[in-house]
Amino acid sequence: MGEPEQLEFARERHVLFLEAMASELPGDYASQEVNHLTLAYFAVAGLSLLRELDRVNKDQIAKWILSFQVHPETGNELDNGQFYGFCGSRTTQFPSTNVKDPCHNGSHLASTYSALAILKIVGYDVANFDSKALLSSMKELQQPDGSFMPIHIGAETDLRFVYCAAAICSMLKDWTGMDKEKAKQYILSCQSYDGGFGLVPGSESHGGGTFCAVAALRLMGFIQVDLASNLREPASIDVYLLMEWCLQRQAEDGGFQGRRNKLSDTCYAFWIGGVLKIIGAYHFIDHGALRGFLLSCQSPYGGFTKLLDDQYPDIYHSYYGLAALSLLEEDGIEPLCVELGIISAAL
Amino acid sequence: MAPSSSSSSEGVDDWVPPSRRPELADVVPVPQDDGPHPVVPIAYRSDFREVMDYFRALYFAGERSVRALHLTAEVIGLNPGNYTVWHFRRLVLEALDADLQEEMNFVDQIAESNPKNYQIWHHKRWLAEKLGPDVANKEHEFTRKILAIDAKNYHAWSHRQWVLQVLGGWETELQYCNQLLEEDVFNNSAWNQRYLVITRSPLHGGLVAMRDSEVDYTVGAILANPQNESSWRYLKGLYKGENNLLVADERISDVCLKVLKNDWTCVFALSLLLDLLRIGLQPSDDLRGTIEAMKNADPETADADLATAICSILQKCDPLRVNYWSWFMTTVSPQI
Repeated sequence: MGEPEQLEFARERHVLFLEAMASELPGDYASQEVNHLTLAYFAVAGLSLLRELDRVNKDQIAKWILSFQVHPETGNELDNGQFYGFCGSRTTQFPSTNVKDPCHNGSHLASTYSALAILKIVGYDVANFDSKALLSSMKELQQPDGSFMPIHIGAETDLRFVYCAAAICSMLKDWTGMDKEKAKQYILSCQSYDGGFGLVPGSESHGGGTFCAVAALRLMGFIQVDLASNLREPASIDVYLLMEWCLQRQAEDGGFQGRRNKLSDTCYAFWIGGVLKIIGAYHFIDHGALRGFLLSCQSPYGGFTKLLDDQYPDIYHSYYGLAALSLLEEDGIEPLCVELGIISAAL
Repeated sequence: MAPSSSSSSEGVDDWVPPSRRPELADVVPVPQDDGPHPVVPIAYRSDFREVMDYFRALYFAGERSVRALHLTAEVIGLNPGNYTVWHFRRLVLEALDADLQEEMNFVDQIAESNPKNYQIWHHKRWLAEKLGPDVANKEHEFTRKILAIDAKNYHAWSHRQWVLQVLGGWETELQYCNQLLEEDVFNNSAWNQRYLVITRSPLHGGLVAMRDSEVDYTVGAILANPQNESSWRYLKGLYKGENNLLVADERISDVCLKVLKNDWTCVFALSLLLDLLRIGLQPSDDLRGTIEAMKNADPETADADLATAICSILQKCDPLRVNYWSWFMTTVSPQI
């Protein structure tokens, strides 16, 4: 680990790393393969941040993504409780004709977000596919308390899926897919006594939960663009306390911790840095110290590690390391629409 | 690949591919249809592929048998994140009217080696809902076990909070928080759990009733470890939405003062003091005196008002957040 001044952004290494991941993921990713589309998102979005999308075949990708969409069968009522989104992998996708399980539709909110994000990045016009079934069935996933279940066959409900739903509506430019007011109420109920947001009401303030909360609020139009406005409006969320919580997450090593008194982890530079960007307080962090931390997490194999002292990179932290450097306006990295997780140029 | 507990005595070395198992002889495996050219194709191991092919066959056929149960256990062993398989397993359990307590034991074993997997914890919740309040204690024992290995496991805490609120078991929860904080007072999850107990436990009377004793407890924790942000935030949290009461409780400004007299660079004490001034604290002579002494140590702040002086000190003691303290000084301080 070198002195921050000697560290450089190893752009070429990251390009090669992502290109390698895009052409084949090593076997130890098999245990995460239900999230295949999300893994694809990390690779494609990562390459788009580095302006190297030409290294993949965009048309092929769009075709591949679209093959995961679940369509209602003719004669199916749209309010049969099923969600007509995208499956995340072949192992959760079953052609309807030969499956006896009435609930064989494995489409998932997180995969749907990943699918749409990738389509946008590779330049596919999402107005081209029929989103009617997707949006009206997505509304069925919203719970009485405003949260979202990610699949109709039953799963945990928490802020991650409220975010996915909001991002989906935003990308499709159609908010009939969710009740925004109810979602907002659920988000508010997740704000902890210290200003951060837990993934469910009562749980500990968490970087990922906080991003999902604030990004969703921004997408739904409940958060202003600049700090002064956010502090001035009678706060539905306590913006001041939120800001304090976020700023306190920057640790001595320059990185961001996901929760109080835990180790700094690369991805929180995006999750929490992103929140500060959204509310207009990003200029309060120590940019130099954060950059130093991120560059120290670069792996000699390309990509980024999770922790400072880790040996090997993974695709998740590699993407978020790049996304965090985008927030820092690092040379050679595309600007990002933070709340959607897509390069601004694709919107 | 860990052997599943519900298969027979086969160990890892004796793994027999499904294609060679007599009990599956009539099954025609269904290969995965990878469809159009994939991005990020995964290099599946052959055992993974084969087990999935047999799972697909049973799933497509709508089978609800014991061998289906065993096979789902095997898939889960290879890929505990596959929510479709868990869903299928639940269908089979219901159809077989299986012993759910035994199932809970099975999933607990898997949870121990995969303590951060959402599907596993969801399955536990599904089982606990069916088994009812009688399992509350057992579930609390289990999360205790997981937390003993990793006292901040977010899933374990979520599950514990859910069990408390839906099935009960609040009686010993505050004591459990005490224990965890004795082991590690920096454990923010334990502080958060404490907040849950005092605000939501039906046995403890609620935040207002508990506030007094909690302030004393927290002040003690602060004095023992003034560099622990958790206790400072908890203290403030006890008065969330009640700024007047926060300012009126002398113990709050007292603890700031006590800490600063010992260490005038304590960022948490300084920033809490700033918050108190911002919401209307009238500084005591003792407080003024202490800040004066700090100001004298820093010539730049000699003529500044109290709030500005504290901001200036914070700019130096908390350099990571110097931009924030500068903004605070020019924007918020003048209003105090």
